[in-house]
Amino acid sequence: MERDKLRHSILARLFGSPGNAGYLLGLGFLLTLTVYAQNTPTSDKEMDRVQAMIGQAKKDAEEFSKSGGKPSDASNPNLKWSAALWQYREKHPGTPATVIATIEALRLLNRADRLSELQAKVDTLKLDDAAWRQVIYVMMSAASKSKDYSYLITKAAALAQGAVDPEIKAQARLFIGNAYWETKDNDRARKAFQAVVAEYPQTPYAQEAEGNLWEIEFLNPGQPAPGFKRTTLTGDPISLADFKGKVVVLKFWGTY
Amino acid sequence: MGEVPLLKELYAQYQNQGVVVVGISLDEELKPVQEMVTAKGMSWIQIHDVDKTLVKLFNVKGTPTYYLLDRAGQIAAKDIPMKRLPGAIDDLLKK
Repeated sequence: MERDKLRHSILARLFGSPGNAGYLLGLGFLLTLTVYAQNTPTSDKEMDRVQAMIGQAKKDAEEFSKSGGKPSDASNPNLKWSAALWQYREKHPGTPATVIATIEALRLLNRADRLSELQAKVDTLKLDDAAWRQVIYVMMSAASKSKDYSYLITKAAALAQGAVDPEIKAQARLFIGNAYWETKDNDRARKAFQAVVAEYPQTPYAQEAEGNLWEIEFLNPGQPAPGFKRTTLTGDPISLADFKGKVVVLKFWGTY
Repeated sequence: MGEVPLLKELYAQYQNQGVVVVGISLDEELKPVQEMVTAKGMSWIQIHDVDKTLVKLFNVKGTPTYYLLDRAGQIAAKDIPMKRLPGAIDDLLKK
């Protein structure tokens, strides 16, 4: 991505400059090639290396579970691969491949049900770590497995306060709302979602928070389903009210 | 899409017992929806929610998502997995 951006900006500069276009064009291509030669093979090689580890981890995990292994077994290969990926992180700080390695290392720990180890590793991440956006999903998954959302809420609150990336701050606040909602603390959930709507308007996070506020208010079991009138694929007008007296299954689906 | 055969079975079993199935497609394009509905024989009511109004109305975040409504039009279950639908429908029909 960064490479593409750089290349685009070089080309844009070239074609935007009047005068000595030929010279600049040549220089530009030379520059592009140099940048390509310096960055691409190394970073792609590192990404390939991490992806190969992840691929092997997946294969090992499949064989382990086929042969009857349980997630919490000490011989779960996810533990070995998680450690290897974490070691990679420590040796190569701050690269895109490291972000991927970090996320997968934590995901594998979660899959092996090592929740306290997961938390200990997450505790070492600084607030500006680029992996947070995915890590917060891993933490949500761990929380819903253990039905304990307190760690997620504490971490997300720290991110909502101190993260550098505003998207991560918004996402963290949204997750605080989701966590409270899961624990049926609707008042706190509502407050968190309202904060997302107020502080990050016009973002997908605000949109999701608005949807959740609507659902908390109006889409609970026992409440009347929101009515609608539509035309079917065969051209017939239908209204949900037409089906009073019948049990209705609504299936939201997609061909993709 | 792996659940279509199960839903077909469910529809065949319940369509004459006072159960309505409404498929609401989130696709951008209409054509693949029509093609799949025909190819797979999904003969229940189909709506193409092209402007996403129903998605918003029911706060749907992914597919498939099922809502189950009772005879009075009240929400009986949301995000219910396919495998639990027949039992839940039976319970509602007994009421």
